[in-house]
Amino acid sequence: MKEKRSLLRNDGFQTFAASVLCIVLGLIVGYLALLIINADGAGKAIMSVIKNFFNKPTSAARLKYFGQTLAKTAPLLLCSLSVLFAYKVGLFNIGAAGQYCLGVALALYLGICKQWPWYLCLICGICAGSISGAVCGILRAYCNVNVVISGIMLNWISLYGTNMLLKPAMDPAGKDTFRLVSKAKQALLPTLGMEKLFNDKYVTIAIPIAILMAIVVWIVLDKTKLGYELKATGNNLNAAKYCGMKENRNIILTMVIAGGLAAMGGALYYLSDFTQWNVNSSSVPGMGFNGIAAAFLGGLNPIGSIFSSFFITHITDGGGYVDLSHYCAQIADFISAVIIYLCGFVLFFKTFLNSRLNKAEERKIEKARALAAAETNKGGKA
Amino acid sequence: MENQYAIEMLNITKRFPGIIANDNITLQLKKGEIHALLGENGAGKSTLMSVLFGLYQPEEGVIKKDGKVVQINDPNDANRLGIGMVHQHFKLVECFSVLDNIILGVEPNKMGFLQKDEARKKVMELSERYGLHVDPDAIIEDITVGMQQRTEILKMLYRENEILIFDEPTAVLTPQEIEELMQIMKGLAKEGKSILFISHKLNEIMEVADRCSVLRKGKYIGTVEIANTTKEELSRMMVGRDVDFVVHKDPAKPTDVVLDVQHITVASKAHSNNAVKDVSFQVRRGEIVCIAGIDGNGQTELVYGISGLEPLKSGKILMDGEDITKLPIRKRSVDGMSHIPEDRHKHGLVLDYTLENNLVLQRYFEPEFTNAMGFLRKDNIRKYAERLIEEYDVRSGQGPITPARAMSGGNQQKAIIAREIDKNPKLLIAVQPTRGLDVGAIEFIHKQIVAHRDAGNGVLLVSLELDEVMALSDRILVMYEGEIVGELDPKQTTVEEMGLYMAGAKRQ
Amino acid sequence: MLLLIQYTLIFASVLLLVALGGCVSEHSGVINLGLEGIMVMGSLGGALVMRFLPYTATMGGRFGMFFAVLCAAIIFGVVYSCLLAVACINLKADQTIVGTALNMLGTALATVAVKSMNTALNPDDHSSEIKYINAKKAFLTNIGKFELNWFMIVAVILLVVVFVLLYKTKFGLRLRACGEHPQAAASVGINVFKMRWAGVLISGLLGGVGGITYITAGVSTWKFENGVAGFGFLALAVMIFGAWDPFRIAGAALLFGLFRALGNVYNAFDFLKAMNIPSGVYNMLPYIVCLIVLAFTSKKSRAPKAEGIPYDKGMR
Repeated sequence: MKEKRSLLRNDGFQTFAASVLCIVLGLIVGYLALLIINADGAGKAIMSVIKNFFNKPTSAARLKYFGQTLAKTAPLLLCSLSVLFAYKVGLFNIGAAGQYCLGVALALYLGICKQWPWYLCLICGICAGSISGAVCGILRAYCNVNVVISGIMLNWISLYGTNMLLKPAMDPAGKDTFRLVSKAKQALLPTLGMEKLFNDKYVTIAIPIAILMAIVVWIVLDKTKLGYELKATGNNLNAAKYCGMKENRNIILTMVIAGGLAAMGGALYYLSDFTQWNVNSSSVPGMGFNGIAAAFLGGLNPIGSIFSSFFITHITDGGGYVDLSHYCAQIADFISAVIIYLCGFVLFFKTFLNSRLNKAEERKIEKARALAAAETNKGGKA
Repeated sequence: MENQYAIEMLNITKRFPGIIANDNITLQLKKGEIHALLGENGAGKSTLMSVLFGLYQPEEGVIKKDGKVVQINDPNDANRLGIGMVHQHFKLVECFSVLDNIILGVEPNKMGFLQKDEARKKVMELSERYGLHVDPDAIIEDITVGMQQRTEILKMLYRENEILIFDEPTAVLTPQEIEELMQIMKGLAKEGKSILFISHKLNEIMEVADRCSVLRKGKYIGTVEIANTTKEELSRMMVGRDVDFVVHKDPAKPTDVVLDVQHITVASKAHSNNAVKDVSFQVRRGEIVCIAGIDGNGQTELVYGISGLEPLKSGKILMDGEDITKLPIRKRSVDGMSHIPEDRHKHGLVLDYTLENNLVLQRYFEPEFTNAMGFLRKDNIRKYAERLIEEYDVRSGQGPITPARAMSGGNQQKAIIAREIDKNPKLLIAVQPTRGLDVGAIEFIHKQIVAHRDAGNGVLLVSLELDEVMALSDRILVMYEGEIVGELDPKQTTVEEMGLYMAGAKRQ
Repeated sequence: MLLLIQYTLIFASVLLLVALGGCVSEHSGVINLGLEGIMVMGSLGGALVMRFLPYTATMGGRFGMFFAVLCAAIIFGVVYSCLLAVACINLKADQTIVGTALNMLGTALATVAVKSMNTALNPDDHSSEIKYINAKKAFLTNIGKFELNWFMIVAVILLVVVFVLLYKTKFGLRLRACGEHPQAAASVGINVFKMRWAGVLISGLLGGVGGITYITAGVSTWKFENGVAGFGFLALAVMIFGAWDPFRIAGAALLFGLFRALGNVYNAFDFLKAMNIPSGVYNMLPYIVCLIVLAFTSKKSRAPKAEGIPYDKGMR
């Protein structure tokens, strides 16, 4: 029996609507916060957050900064894919931040200190993240350690580890690592001419790689035997075991892949030379946590992640354009945190919407039935 | 004139989207009587009780206590009216002591601090008076099911409830414990308590109840005096036709041994003892061997051991002469073992998967469903699912793409049975395959199992329902405390004899 | 050596307070992964009081300051934990996402608040720091060379209070029933939603106090951009290691506190200094120890049975 279902019933549409609702509410809360801080410039400030590179006066500059936003989107997208992939298998990879660090650590260390070419740096970075993910997975599978807690612990271990490893790669002039341009040109990512297109040297193959990974993750989860097994393991561990899947192997494999994705993000970002690592950093990079936001905002869909990652980068960058004499750039972090908080309600939103729809439908059926009954009654009398 | 009814539910109607769960039902409980409420699964018994406890508000009808109309909005209101219930699944906090469980919600206290001594005294008194023996300081998870049930009864007595409801109280008890419970119920009625006894077991109703009300498919069928009725009449009222409890099957023609279990021991997850102790038996092709016993005597662990879900501590398992003791689950399955699990939600289904994805859960990796590149062949999965749905009459809202979660229990079970039997296993292990299903579905499943036997395969059936054991099996093995204490021939034995074995009172 | 003990005790107090918060919340059935954010908010509340309340070094002034700081931390923590309670209890949101969101939100909110405050007071000041060198002296007492932080005493008192509350009162019995078997609790007329709210609010209180204790441990300025360095999660590990039992949690907190303190004071020990281990290793130490301890204790740990599962009236 196939019924024509209304658009509102469509799960994809509901997810999309919920995400848009989260964004709008998040921006409203952000606006309210700006109003509280200083009512005069609040409207202008929230607009500059939303506009980001459109704040630039010329179209060339806009294109350049659009390119830079894309360059920052790539690592975020990979982190969000990492979170998403693990979440589909029932694991919450809050350790993405640490895996990201390790990707950076290995890539920069091998690039600067060992002068290895970019592809080897990238591969080793990915491996480092995968190993860290594997540790999480093994602890979960064999020792029943909650992945959230082990992930957080590994985040801090990775952060300090990265600092230690990158000490030799530090530019004595500051606290940051050397720029690759000056010390390790062979480790720079190729740009495939996109550099010219955007007139920005940071626009590298990282961007197409990240988008490609999103598609690969989508295919693996949706179309393959591996995805079938992993999702079954995530949804019902006991059933997976019952039908002979190697449930522990699946958990570990998931974390290896998730770790690799996050680390790839870190390695690609730093190998594009966009930014340098501060070897005294005392807080775990926010990229991993923003990845969580992007994954949920994207409705836990790899393709959705592309857009949500871009959006989050867009407003985080946009935070830099607020009038600093009254406001601070972190207002954007605040907005993305509010958005994730709201994402927690997506399920509630959907259930609510569906129950409303059910009720409406029932009333319709009831009415139809009453009408039909009246008809037959009439018919009977006549 | 004094009102003779303790509680009355008059013309109760409760609708849910799509169904009428209670359709104009009237139930009147006299003071001091034991009143049975009879009905199959899904007849509307639990909905009616939820209405009585204020969990649902009925669309129509009233509830009267001592002749006066009362409004019950939540379980607290029911408690205040002196209504208490022993639920089928006990509502006990497992890591609390018996005493803590009894006083929970009505704790004697001074400025919020617990005063347990007072409570202990009162509990001991009650336990003496009604012959309900418990150790107030024992932890619930360490004590027997019978003692847990006594704790539940004490909970009601401690609250001085006048109306006591027992929801399927005998399902988990041994025949001897059941006998004891019957005595306790009679004693309580004699003390003036009014008892509502919910059951679908005719023998027990005949033994203990004064009157019986029958529900069928949400409708009220009638109330009869037990003294003036027979089992057959009650059964007719319950199912609406003469049921024949006998499954039609030819005598077994056992051939080669397909499963040979040799001295296996399996550890328990719940306690430090072994759940299965040195058990040996054989299953042949062309016969149905049934493991009977009270819940929790090692049947679950035995099946886990054979199917590979739990490792053995010692012993050996042969299938068709091949040693499978160390083989992984997948290998056992591919070699011809199917397992219809006890808990379909825990093991049997991935609830968030669609029906079609659940139907290939045991064979998704076969070349028919996965190509050489590791991609799923979704068109083949769809075709296969459509065939099984057709053949096994699995009903669901959207066919193959219905989420398993959205299906009814009976159809979920049918889907599992389709999946497991269609693999054409030489050994089928079926654990409680008909639990919680309606008569139609039970008949269907029994037929499938017998047909599978007649095709020359071995069947190992684990069941708690004695009727099912008697109807289906060719040989019966009774398990008690992790051991097989007797092998019986269903044609020669009676339910009573089986009961003695199940309770550990007799062994071979 | 004395310094090591002092640091151990103060860090142990922080972990104890926060872990107790987690413990109460989990006994009621809600996993509170947002403790980190709650700590940040608690510390923000306390820091604001220390920044703005004029301080006099008299006994009265000291007590006044102490109670004002304590109350502010509590209020901030409790109010903030409402966000978790609404989401997880009433709206049945995913507890992991909400907890994570609260951690991020805590840091972001505190940073934005402090920065805008600083900028408003001085247009050139764009830092997220609050300084409280003077005010902090209010609750430090020197006993010989040992610097007693009053919050250590608060931690011990709250330990006893939580123990009594959980195991000796009507409230505690009901709270624990909600975390183990909410349907059973509901069947005897306990309002599961209310009890869970209570659990979360108490965890907000304890988390808030833990937060203010943390930022007064050894430093007298706090940069709110940094959050609380995973202490909320360390506390959860302490709670698991302590098997959800207040006194065992206290023991676990001392152990973890010791490793955390080593990072601050290893220079004072000649033999440690001689080993020439990079400071990064000491920084990692508590986290590594935590992982190892969890690996060995999680397998048989017995968490409240119903924790993390939203309670739904319809489900029976």
